[in-house]
Amino acid sequence: MNPDILIALAPELALFALAVVVLLAGLAARARGSHVGRAALSEDAGRPAKANGAPAIGWLTLIGLAVIFGVTFLVPEGASLLGDSFLQDSLALFVKRLFIASAALSVLGSLTLQQQAFSRRSAEYHFAVIVSVLGMSILASARELILLFVGFELMSIPLFLLTGFLKREAVAPEAALKFFLVGTASSAVIVYGMSFVYGASGSTMLSAIPAAMADGHPLMMLGMGLLLAGLGFKIAAFPFHMWAPDTYEAASTPFVAWLSVAPKAAGFVAIIRLYIEGVGSAALVWMPAVAVLAGMTMVTGNLMAIPQQNIKRLLAYSGVAHIGYMLVGLAALSSSGVAMMLFYLVAYMFGNMGAFLVVQAVAQSEQSDGIDAYRGLAQRSPLLALSMLIFLLSLGGIPFVAGFWAKLYVFWAAIERGMYGLVFLGAVLTVVALYYYLLVARRMYIEAPPRTEPVPVPRLLGVAILACVVGVVGMGVYPAPWVTWAQRVASTLFS
Amino acid sequence: MSRLPILSIMTWAPVLSALVIMFAARHRPLLVRWTAVVGTGISLVASLWVYCEYDRAAAGFQFHEELPLVPSLGISYLLAIDGISALMALLTSIIIFAGAFASWTVKERSQEFYALLLILVTGVYGVFVSLDLFILFLFYEIAVLPMYLLIGIWGSSGHVRPQGIFGWAMGRTGVGTKEYAAMKLTLYLLFGSAFILVGILALYVAAGSQTFSFLAFQSMQFDPDLQRWVFLAFYVGFGILAGIWPLHTWSPDGHASAPTAVSMLHAGVLMKLGAYGVVRLGMGLLPDASVDWAWLVGTIACINIVYGALSAMAQTDLKYVIAYSSVSHMGVVMLGAATLTVDGLNGSVFQMFAHGIMTGLFFALVGLVYEKAHSREIFKMGGFGSMMPGIATAFTIGGLSSLGLPATAGFVAELLTFLGAWSSEYQWWLFPGVIGAFLTSVYVLRVAKQIFWGPPSSDPHFENLPDARGTEWAALGILVFVLVLFGVAPSLAVNPVDTATGPLLQRVVGE
Repeated sequence: MNPDILIALAPELALFALAVVVLLAGLAARARGSHVGRAALSEDAGRPAKANGAPAIGWLTLIGLAVIFGVTFLVPEGASLLGDSFLQDSLALFVKRLFIASAALSVLGSLTLQQQAFSRRSAEYHFAVIVSVLGMSILASARELILLFVGFELMSIPLFLLTGFLKREAVAPEAALKFFLVGTASSAVIVYGMSFVYGASGSTMLSAIPAAMADGHPLMMLGMGLLLAGLGFKIAAFPFHMWAPDTYEAASTPFVAWLSVAPKAAGFVAIIRLYIEGVGSAALVWMPAVAVLAGMTMVTGNLMAIPQQNIKRLLAYSGVAHIGYMLVGLAALSSSGVAMMLFYLVAYMFGNMGAFLVVQAVAQSEQSDGIDAYRGLAQRSPLLALSMLIFLLSLGGIPFVAGFWAKLYVFWAAIERGMYGLVFLGAVLTVVALYYYLLVARRMYIEAPPRTEPVPVPRLLGVAILACVVGVVGMGVYPAPWVTWAQRVASTLFS
Repeated sequence: MSRLPILSIMTWAPVLSALVIMFAARHRPLLVRWTAVVGTGISLVASLWVYCEYDRAAAGFQFHEELPLVPSLGISYLLAIDGISALMALLTSIIIFAGAFASWTVKERSQEFYALLLILVTGVYGVFVSLDLFILFLFYEIAVLPMYLLIGIWGSSGHVRPQGIFGWAMGRTGVGTKEYAAMKLTLYLLFGSAFILVGILALYVAAGSQTFSFLAFQSMQFDPDLQRWVFLAFYVGFGILAGIWPLHTWSPDGHASAPTAVSMLHAGVLMKLGAYGVVRLGMGLLPDASVDWAWLVGTIACINIVYGALSAMAQTDLKYVIAYSSVSHMGVVMLGAATLTVDGLNGSVFQMFAHGIMTGLFFALVGLVYEKAHSREIFKMGGFGSMMPGIATAFTIGGLSSLGLPATAGFVAELLTFLGAWSSEYQWWLFPGVIGAFLTSVYVLRVAKQIFWGPPSSDPHFENLPDARGTEWAALGILVFVLVLFGVAPSLAVNPVDTATGPLLQRVVGE
């Protein structure tokens, strides 16, 4: 085999190898009965897990992901493989780094989970995570409909498993089932749409789409419309967002942190590949549709978030709103629009994952996901509260944290296209968003604490939160390198 | 440039002292206070120096400082000051310096209080001295956001009872509580900032010159249609902060609930930030639109004057009276700007200054009265003049300035504004203005008579109340001194302001 292919496929091959190793390590541990996976999980909630006592398989996964993250920087950009169906371009590598980094943060956060299931079935958990990352990676590179679909399924099926991972808890199977039904339905819609696209273009290659789209064949439009709907499910855009709050509420929090970011990014890449890359001016047909979708998603997400009393549901709806903002960038259908959306994705990753990780810390100590559990947090654990405030402000789009630049750049791209109305709507809705974010801030800073002892933060979880704080503040204070990077990635799509 | 970056020193000194407070002065209340005094003192000295050294003959923007931040987008840290902003910076310094003394008695979590207050002040300075619109916007956000926590944590609540047909709904949202006021204020102002941001971005894209520099925008001729809606965006965005009717309702709630120093700063300086934004960005960059929309700005200003004064008369809570009087006086500011005459605009800027000082004084006094008598109900208190003669005298001087008595700063401001209104296109604007001045004297004198100079209250709570002491005198003394000084010698302020307003109007009306 040509060694170039091996080098270009290194991230995927390494992910596959890591998945196999993790699975085998789990089997070996079980066979020896030595419970490597359980090795001294901290039994009591109050004691932070010692670094050396954390589950070995989790560490194996973490180190593996870190190595693969490094490998993505060694892969040459622009390789086109397997009969042009697999493209390792800079966009693919950009989002792959995002997938891997977010998965690593999630794994870091989940190392200190206390439920028995996580220690007993640690290998299964991490195996599913890695396989899902592999699916996303394939998806990000796919330039062919069938490979695209395979990537989708490879990504989604482990997510269903992970949602229902705590199978003994009453809500988990229900949420998993809901997620599964919606997910498979959307997959069916995607396949159905693909069949029309194939019928109209006569090829499964994405490169055949622009020509067919330029013809304006009605079946082609139908197919692309169905695809957009199916992808809308995956990224939880309005009106396909219903599954998100229920799923988020029931699944384990570090996993949700990841679920709320990585699959969305994958969905966006698929949209870029299908509707923007190489399509040229024929793509403008989709501009009004995406703009309307963006507007509706922002409105729904922001308004539905207001009455939520459960922080995970609140973050779920606010996540829906953020998808809307990213769609604004996409609706611009321009190089800067895509660049700003990619920037937004990174900012959203740090802000949203950080917020969910804080939720994890508070939930472990308070046994509650209610917003009221945050009362007086600033006086109990000032640093934890400050982190949460930073994440919320970033999600709300306040200067000096990443979210501000993200929103600004997305609006900017839209204004360049003359979409003043959409920008105005988005700008007003950021104020609505700040209302519910400030409601959490009010609980943390203004209301009196019910108890005075600090919230214990396991050390590893603290490290993950700190990483997110550094990311959010770093991007907020000095966004220039990230912007340049995103612009360079996006410009390759329009060359 | 080898010169000292005096504007940066003025702007960042409060933040530096905030850092010292958070890290070095933890749990040492007295050190916290003196650090704040030193930090704001440095700013005060710097702004006084700038104010005196400002070259009036040369006019224009001076004390330039430039540092490219994001060259690819044309964002740079560009500071400079002209006659208007020099006066505004001086106002900010005076108010916050007095405010640092007026907050001496804050007990709970005092180091966080001072730190947030000082960060907020840096935002205010930043808006006044920035010439890069993007940086200006960033400073604007810094000036707005800490307010949420300042009011939410250290504010006071429970003086308003929801009544009427919406009483139930208002009770549910918590009307009258400090949390409600903090949230309302923050959301209103951020709503405004969304307008401002869209306006700034629209200008940036329309200019197509890869810069956010005010001077670059000023030299451009924007399309009249674009000007028209961008002016509206700026007017609504900054106008919310300036308390324009009907978007003013955050201000009485917010000011009444806020702790003393925050009320002083907010009513005294932050509302001016809004008016300053309309004058600087709206009129400065969009000359055609400011002529087109003058009727709207002026008419709403007239409503502000009369409506604010009438509302102030109806209040029974002392702090709400002062808060509504701010709404009324900000109407005078906006009216002066809308006249598009040199006199009117000078009056507008002078009123920003005069009102800033006297509202600062009023809120400091209300804070003192509340601290000693634990009441803000006007009709429960009485005869305090004999127990606290110092406070009573200061309140009366402030009140006389508020109603525009000659030899106080308020008189000069109103006179100039009314002169401007009379020579403007819409002469009838004069009448609401004069009616407002009359109504002001009604509510000010009524309050002064009831609380300070009338017969003593029979309530035993109000016996043997002490007068102001120690550091409290510092706050009052500074403010009263400035109020009278600028009333007796208005040219101190009018001269530098004149150097800025003339060229500005020349661009607008082309005379």
